[in-house]
Amino acid sequence: MEAREKKDRQKPRWYKIDNAGVLYTSLQKDTYSAVYRFSAVMTTPVNPEILQLALDRTIKRFPGFHMRMKKGLFWHYFEPDSRPGPFVMSDIANPCTPIRFQDKRSRLVRVYYYQSRISIEVFHAVSDGAGALIFLRTLLAVYLREQGIEIPDGEGILNVDEEPVPEEMEDAYVRYATVKPLRDKMQKAAYPAGGTPEPFYTLNVIMGFLPLNQLREKARSYKVSVTEYLTAILLQVLLERQKRERPYKLKPVALAIPINLRGWFPSKTLRNFILTMRPGIDPNLGEYTFPEIISQVHHYLRLNNNRQLMQARLTENVNFQRNRLLRIVPIFLKDPVVALSYKLAGVRPYSTTYTNPGAFRVPPEMQEHIKHMEVILGQPYGNKVNCASISYGNTMNITFASTIRETDIERDFFRFLVREGIHVKVESNRKETLAPTQIW
Amino acid sequence: MSYCVNCGVEVDATNTQCPLCQTAICNPNQPVDTRSPKPFPEEMEVIGPASKRELAILLSVMFASMAFACGILNFFLNPERMWSLYVIGIAIMLWIWFVPMLLVHKVPMWFWLVCDVLSVGLYVFLISLDLNGLNWFLGLALPIVLLATASVLFLGIALRGGRRSILSAITLIIGTGGVFLLGVELFLDLYFTQTWQPAWSIVALTVCIALIIPLVVVRRVSGLREEARRRFHI
Repeated sequence: MEAREKKDRQKPRWYKIDNAGVLYTSLQKDTYSAVYRFSAVMTTPVNPEILQLALDRTIKRFPGFHMRMKKGLFWHYFEPDSRPGPFVMSDIANPCTPIRFQDKRSRLVRVYYYQSRISIEVFHAVSDGAGALIFLRTLLAVYLREQGIEIPDGEGILNVDEEPVPEEMEDAYVRYATVKPLRDKMQKAAYPAGGTPEPFYTLNVIMGFLPLNQLREKARSYKVSVTEYLTAILLQVLLERQKRERPYKLKPVALAIPINLRGWFPSKTLRNFILTMRPGIDPNLGEYTFPEIISQVHHYLRLNNNRQLMQARLTENVNFQRNRLLRIVPIFLKDPVVALSYKLAGVRPYSTTYTNPGAFRVPPEMQEHIKHMEVILGQPYGNKVNCASISYGNTMNITFASTIRETDIERDFFRFLVREGIHVKVESNRKETLAPTQIW
Repeated sequence: MSYCVNCGVEVDATNTQCPLCQTAICNPNQPVDTRSPKPFPEEMEVIGPASKRELAILLSVMFASMAFACGILNFFLNPERMWSLYVIGIAIMLWIWFVPMLLVHKVPMWFWLVCDVLSVGLYVFLISLDLNGLNWFLGLALPIVLLATASVLFLGIALRGGRRSILSAITLIIGTGGVFLLGVELFLDLYFTQTWQPAWSIVALTVCIALIIPLVVVRRVSGLREEARRRFHI
């Protein structure tokens, strides 16, 4: 009996995927993956050998980030990745490439370096932004320690010499799915912010860097938060874009905004624990001025971002996954149905996604070694543009990632900010058509 | 620091044009920095088509096992009748439908469709062998299959690359369908009565033409075309 128990303990631990992970694995195909990227641009060039050492030490503390996706008969699941690695890689021009579960070289978490930039790419079934940022913060701390800089633990930096804590792998959705469920009504189809598709696999990235103090001051002048302000600008830009196209019938413009539930429901989990909100404007009701859009967004988010509503919604999602009939459906039948329901309920009602994980905070000892942070919300589902933002110190990074050729959404967005008196610097990985000598 | 005169944003020193509006960046005080690295890497990772070799092998083994097992069983169960040809035919047909496109890439879709239609012909041939129906196979089934193949080939070539508008595509499909039905009645008449007396196929063709004419008109008249695009956009 003891030998059997010992053998059981030695077997690698496998994990069910969480409620959000079910969705991302069902959508997963060879041409699409829900992958996002966080980057830290350091003040000195990255040393790849030291970064690899840091990664080797850090990954042991985060077993949830060193997993493989396996396909069972009814659900996907995670099991520990026994392969050597992960290995840091030289960065590429097309970030957030799709992950192929069957490919032996494929990893769910990737680490890249380029010049002074350290980037991690995470498959969304593994973790949400909050969990990934803890991983990145710890990795950066260990990387700096390997260079002889004293960085204390705490403030979002985990002790890599400790054993992983089971609470970090909990499915927090299940834990808090204890109330009466609330079924969301089917939302109307929103204006799809699409365009001409680029060849496979191209992810066009345009990053804007803004002084956070100017942005905050402007948002305060409208009496809203920075997220609400930026959301309103994006809605305004999309409304005007739809109007320019002169469609037969105007559609509502709505954004998918992920909300971190840890603020309402305490959890140490590093896995997914988010829900989406849908602030939007229906142009069929009439013209909206920018202050009116801001007001709509502000009041919508205040009204709907409450504990009771969030808990009822997540209970409904968990109950759906627990449904006995659904559970016994084989995965090859379940995945297309889940993917279709996501298209109807998770894609059609939204023009695009905007995510803002907030301020990236580090201990004072680390602050001088990081120049700024970046985030890229990877390949959108369909030919669209995604938006994400993150701030560090006084720099706010706003990134648009798209699989389309047009840049009018990004252009109008950043021009709006410039007209508001905010300084914007842009960088992009789009190919330039002009050589330097052609200008003169 | 260089700025885009159109957008008002600051651009990276290495940029020759604004990433937002592609306007050339001209700053006499700061020429474009051609020495510093770009803010993003320039080397793309090439993502090739996914290998479906394992799935192809699995399907091949499944179909082959099915055909082989039934072929062997036929020697013991009702050996006077070649019923296993039905199963073998299905296995071959399904193999042609699903397996080659898993292994071979960059082959146009119309080619696969033609192979699929010909595989249906092969299956019908195996049925004719069991029923001693070589006569009807050569006189009726084969011409219909070949006509279907020609129709699919025509549509595949005409519609390849998605160059046609939806209106044109629907027009072509309806027209091809009408001609196909005309051909089916032709072969039926020649096989059964040795004379061609078109009846129901003329009605079908007339209906198809009646459907095509308004589509062609809408396609030709730009105002109507624009109105159709607005009302039927998805």
